[in-house]
Amino acid sequence: MFLLTCPLSHLLTGSNKGVIIATHTVHLEPSGKTAQAATGALLTDVIREAGLDFNIPCGGQGRCGRCAVIAKDSAGIRRRSTVRLSQKDLSAGYALACQTVVEGDARITIPPQEKIERRLTTDKTAGKVSLPFVYSYLDHQSLRLFPLTIEAPSLGDQTDDWSRLKRSLAANHNVSNLVADLPVLQKLGQSLRDNHWQVTAIVEMKTWDRPKGPPRLIALQPGSSPLSGPLIEGQTRNLWAAAVDIGTTTVSLYLVNLLTGEIATKAAEYNGQIRRGEDVISRIIFAGKENGLQDLQTLVVDTINKLAERAARRAKIKPQEIYRMTVTGNSTMIHLLLGLPPSSIRLDPFVTTINQPPPVRAGELGINICAQANIECLPGVASYVGADISAGVIGSQMCGSQALTLFLDVGTNGEMVLGDCDWLISCACSAGPAFEGAGVQDGMRATIGAIEEVWVNNDTFEPTYRVIPNPRLEARDEATPPRGICGSGLISLLAEMFITGVIDKGGHLNFTLESPRIREGEHGPEYVVAWGADTEEGRDICITKVDIDNLMRAKGAIYAGFAVLAESIGIELEMVERFLIGGSFGQYINVEKAVQIGLLPDLPWERFDFLGNTSLRGALLALLNDTYHRQVAEAASKMTYLELSADNTFYDAFTSALFLPHTDIEKFPSVAKVLG
Amino acid sequence: MPAIQIPTQKWSGKVREVTLGATAADGGTRAKTVTVGGATTLPFLHFDGETPHAPVVAIEIQDRYPEDWSPILLEVWGDAAKDPASWAKAAEEKGADLIYLKFALNDDLSGDYARKIVRQVLDATGLPLIVFGPGQVEQDNDILVSVAEEGEGERLVLGVCEEKNYRTIVAAALAHGHLVDARTAMDVNLGKQLNILISDMGLPLDRIVMDPTTGALGYGMEYGYSVMERLRLAALQGDGMTQLPMLVTPGEETWRAKEARTDEGVPESWGDWTERAINWEVLTTSTLLESGADIVVLRHPESLKRVKGMINALMSH
Repeated sequence: MFLLTCPLSHLLTGSNKGVIIATHTVHLEPSGKTAQAATGALLTDVIREAGLDFNIPCGGQGRCGRCAVIAKDSAGIRRRSTVRLSQKDLSAGYALACQTVVEGDARITIPPQEKIERRLTTDKTAGKVSLPFVYSYLDHQSLRLFPLTIEAPSLGDQTDDWSRLKRSLAANHNVSNLVADLPVLQKLGQSLRDNHWQVTAIVEMKTWDRPKGPPRLIALQPGSSPLSGPLIEGQTRNLWAAAVDIGTTTVSLYLVNLLTGEIATKAAEYNGQIRRGEDVISRIIFAGKENGLQDLQTLVVDTINKLAERAARRAKIKPQEIYRMTVTGNSTMIHLLLGLPPSSIRLDPFVTTINQPPPVRAGELGINICAQANIECLPGVASYVGADISAGVIGSQMCGSQALTLFLDVGTNGEMVLGDCDWLISCACSAGPAFEGAGVQDGMRATIGAIEEVWVNNDTFEPTYRVIPNPRLEARDEATPPRGICGSGLISLLAEMFITGVIDKGGHLNFTLESPRIREGEHGPEYVVAWGADTEEGRDICITKVDIDNLMRAKGAIYAGFAVLAESIGIELEMVERFLIGGSFGQYINVEKAVQIGLLPDLPWERFDFLGNTSLRGALLALLNDTYHRQVAEAASKMTYLELSADNTFYDAFTSALFLPHTDIEKFPSVAKVLG
Repeated sequence: MPAIQIPTQKWSGKVREVTLGATAADGGTRAKTVTVGGATTLPFLHFDGETPHAPVVAIEIQDRYPEDWSPILLEVWGDAAKDPASWAKAAEEKGADLIYLKFALNDDLSGDYARKIVRQVLDATGLPLIVFGPGQVEQDNDILVSVAEEGEGERLVLGVCEEKNYRTIVAAALAHGHLVDARTAMDVNLGKQLNILISDMGLPLDRIVMDPTTGALGYGMEYGYSVMERLRLAALQGDGMTQLPMLVTPGEETWRAKEARTDEGVPESWGDWTERAINWEVLTTSTLLESGADIVVLRHPESLKRVKGMINALMSH
């Protein structure tokens, strides 16, 4: 069926003369929806335009194979790339939606994709965050509340509203040179009169980049209840602000009462950008597509708004009562939030548009808190060492200590900082998303059904595993069937296979062992972790040689980063006195297993400390105390950035680390002992 | 005039001594054995340390007449090349220290065939023998297991033993008293890793020779040189897993290079083909000897003579 997109008469007379665009009907099962698509339209676009939620984990590069759809007969479609599809997949009709174009009427079935279920253990729990200083609103906070009783105007005193407000602020609170944005002035007169000249001014005295002010009026609240003493009935005494960490995977938010410095609630949610790409590079690529940047910016703003709303609901306030927000994230996340094109981040010589962005108004970004509130992005160091790392350095307190400290934030990129109170050196190594479950055949995120820990029997080579339970099944005392293996599960699986000899030091499966689990699969040698009879989808869950190689590369890259950092300043890794691990993934790493595979250096366990989300903690500190924001900026500017692609050192360290646990076993004495 | 003091470098490490071949006293049938390694210094720096064993030269022979070889080689070996036993004898007469028997890639290679050829060569020469499969994992596995059985106790060197198939080859070497040629791509870490994997299977380190791969002059030789030099430096600095003698095949590499392979369409200034080809083989080999090679495998008897001459000159002090 061919349709003309516009009336024939228009074609003949209008500007599009002679251009006939053929469109085709695409049936999308099981939704039953149909879509009209022009010749050459990408299936991903067609599916999304039909209003279906559809994930493209690698950003549409045809690399991850996770956007596969089924076209029973291949009529009406053309596969531009089949790299990720086996012959068996092809004959079953599989096609990658991001690599397939429409050329005629087609019927497509979209199989269920991996649902991103929330298993954010930290959501809701407003964990007690201990501060390295005693917070005092009056001493540390630049956002201030000033209760005002303003003299009403009269014929005898026709001073304008704004001057009255300024006069009152100067007289009662010694605040001068007040400024305000137009939207505040637009509401000023009404607000003063509605509240009978009894208001509380919310004033930002200074910002980190303008430590001398001028003070800026952000909003007026009704009433002029003093900050101390008994409350006037119906009034509350709070000053709300938020600290936000934009992770590539997870966005977290603290809602904070600046009067007390207490965290009222915490909310976390998967970054809405995930469905446009799982890692930073995929997102940068997506941002380069038409409307891609705008799309990604909207998605992250929506995620933040959702969190602000959820937190506000729990605190029984409106999100518009949030008057300040500090934000951290890696350089790409900050660029996408601000709508800055991130393309130069991934291209030699790897520079950002800006490492230390100025404060911007919430309204400008579409963040649905008080429109005049400042969004303050914390400063970053370089393309691959962003604000999340400089905030982490502050959040982990590493720069306040004499002890030689190594701080690692492990995610898609392994970012690390070595130093103490006098110096800091950082680098970022591209570990790839293997530890986040991507690029691994049966890998998945740490959600329901993920195998999160594995033990392998020394004699039978049979595994036992623990699965992240489905609460519904758990309540009925039923086991949750596994669906895949998450990062911590992969680390523990690799370590167990290695220690029991299922794989050798090079990561090769040992076929001389008597075990039906070690076999030749469709994609080469593999080890069966769970038989199909026990899994949710009825399919064997395996780790293949290719997966093992990917994991080895990921752990090798991270360890090589440590080695090169240490070598660059002439120390041995064993001299590191404190090893701090940030990032939410870090919390689930089993140190013993991570050392056994050579992901972490072989240090006494007590030197390791898991700090959870140090980036968010850094944002909180900066929110409470401008000194910390300046410290983050200082840490960022004094941090030496080591570009690993500049010479061969990293490559040598990397190939040396592509072994279990490492080519130089002397570096891993505890593992050598286990191996006997 | 004050005597000039030559500064010396004392190393803590030493290359392991490895003996190829076994005489009747050790359960084999070789007329003599060849021992390499043992150096406590970089090649030929006799003022720094000991080099107890000179590098040795093996001559490559093939299981069947190598029609694809350069006519220069076919001419010099003549009819001898038509039969592995006579070829081995000819090589021994030309002064080879070792025989390197290579099985060419062929569809009808079989374990029994390989067994027969190895037997003929063993009976024809008293020199220790290095046996290489065609370099394809499956065929190598097939024939080398049979070769290992046939050569029981002879301390053959079995190659190539790579990361992909090391288990099979090492198991065969373990069972029948042989050595392995551990070949990796040109990389210090990869070389070391394979040695670890092999020794983890229980093969003593003095039954492994390292084969770090190399290229001919003008075809990546300098990269191979650098890797071999770094491996040897690591060995001398005490890294046990790199303290193994190295085997390289400059003959095969050289005769693949355009300069040795052909005389068609080359500038006149390149000179006489035969002389050029031999020079290419000798220059490649002498350079690799300077970077730490202990066993070099050559193809042309004149190259053998010149390289032996160079080794003798450098070893006499």
